[in-house]
Amino acid sequence: MPRKFVCRRADVPTNGMAEFDAGEGLKVLVANSGEEYFACQATCPHQDVSLAEGLYDGSVLTCHQHLWQWDIRSGSPLGLAEMPLNCFKAEVDNDSIYIDTPGALNVGELFAGISEGTLAQINALARREEYPQGGTLYEVGDPADDFYVLESGRVEFLIGRDDRTRPAGFMLRKGEVFGWAALLESQPVRIAKATCLERSTLLRINGKRVLNVLEADPASGYLVMRRLSSLIARYLASSGAR
Amino acid sequence: MATRPMRIQLNARNRAFQFPATENERILYAGLAAGINLPYECGSGTCGTCKARLVSGEVDDLWPQAPGRKYLKQPGEFLMCQGAARSDCSLEVANFVYNMDAGACLPAAGRGTVRNARRLTRDVISFSVALEAPCDFDAGQFMVMRVPNVPGYRGYSMVNYERSARRLEFAVKKKPGGGVSEWLFNGNIEDKPIELFGPLGTATFFPAMAKSILCIAGGSGIAGMMSILERACQEHYFDQYSGHVFFGVRSMKDAFFLAELSRFRTEFSQKLTVTIVLSDEDAPGDAAQRYPALAFDRGLVHEAAARHMTGKYHNLRAFVAGPPPAVDAAIRMLLLEARLTTDNIRYDKFS
Repeated sequence: MPRKFVCRRADVPTNGMAEFDAGEGLKVLVANSGEEYFACQATCPHQDVSLAEGLYDGSVLTCHQHLWQWDIRSGSPLGLAEMPLNCFKAEVDNDSIYIDTPGALNVGELFAGISEGTLAQINALARREEYPQGGTLYEVGDPADDFYVLESGRVEFLIGRDDRTRPAGFMLRKGEVFGWAALLESQPVRIAKATCLERSTLLRINGKRVLNVLEADPASGYLVMRRLSSLIARYLASSGAR
Repeated sequence: MATRPMRIQLNARNRAFQFPATENERILYAGLAAGINLPYECGSGTCGTCKARLVSGEVDDLWPQAPGRKYLKQPGEFLMCQGAARSDCSLEVANFVYNMDAGACLPAAGRGTVRNARRLTRDVISFSVALEAPCDFDAGQFMVMRVPNVPGYRGYSMVNYERSARRLEFAVKKKPGGGVSEWLFNGNIEDKPIELFGPLGTATFFPAMAKSILCIAGGSGIAGMMSILERACQEHYFDQYSGHVFFGVRSMKDAFFLAELSRFRTEFSQKLTVTIVLSDEDAPGDAAQRYPALAFDRGLVHEAAARHMTGKYHNLRAFVAGPPPAVDAAIRMLLLEARLTTDNIRYDKFS
């Protein structure tokens, strides 16, 4: 996507935020912090509430409805939030603010914030694949070599075999990572079947190759492993946190 | 005629659940009664938090005018608190959903009879519900209730606290045009039957949390705080931890529970403070004499709390309840000025 004009600098209150229409129905929240500007989706990923009505202290954005919070720099969820915010790269050109849409890897919960060189290497390993509605990504028992990052569409998981299957969750946000058995040791095969519920575009990446890349950049690798462990915990956890 | 319960299949972001629902049973209540922590906030049609998408099957909408329907955006979406299954159904919620924790008080349907109804002020009534079967709830929780000849449920916080309670106490503010509220205020409700579902709500207090507590209540929002204070006092919590209560009303004649708050304060005068905050008048000259254990202040309740609490937010959890504008203002203050983390702000909005 070419960069899009969003607003003038003067339209954004100092250390505040405002919502703008970037055209084609795209609503963007722009926030200021000192000399910097940040841009992200304008509605809460939880219940489509306007985030401009929320609270912003110069670094943390809070939705007033259920107090979900994010780091405005990365869109990473904080506290009670269950999902990241879709962030854009905000560019200031003279008096105008433009946005660039980042790739699914940058949006993702797993790789946001790692070093640019490492991210570029992982990007180079990614193959973009398109699947039709009903397309199967993998079956139970298939080798777990690759993991996937959702770019668009929707993927559902089924566990069990033959006619004794039941749903086991679904993916619908750009940047969501699944098939992460490929990043784990001693998880050689798939434990669920993954099917596209609608036409979907995915980045497919070999797990071992990514682990090799991360070994050469332990700081980034540490960040990714921390994120991966909280990702897994979210699927296993009880509601005790709240 | 006994009918077979319908089978509800609920697909969440992280996993799927199955639970039974009977005819006319609200799907939200059926799932909660099965120990599944479905998303909800008010449980009575206003907040929109329990929205789900119907994938297959048929659901009756029991309240097509529910205000919470304004949060429905996609085709097939409905409010689980107002939806009753007419067939086996498959639903989807775009949330992470888990089973309730071990030790949670499992919500269930119950019945009771109104007792001891009396006016506390010109627009606040208190009453008890004598339950047919005892019920466990956590301090700070609420029940949704349904009264004869009024459609739909409304949520009210319990004032008392006891395990295996045979009696629940409530304090309710008059809401013109509110069906349940009108019923409570107009006519003789003594000995009338009431249907309940609950307990509900996560703005709960447990002694094991081991933190100081701050209660900011507007009007009848004090109800749940009374339950929290009752439990804390029963367990001598304020021997060790501080408690700060700010109770906002318009004028002295709108205040209630002052004798009860005085009793809590007198028993734990070292660490518990209670401030009555009047928005429309200065405290009358005799207030301090009538209630020597209480402090009085003038202004909005969250502003009074901000003035008195500076420097006292360390290791503290805040409970907030009252009308939505008061709750929103208090939350804003607690996040931006007090710098509390969101897990230490527990609130109920009576919208």
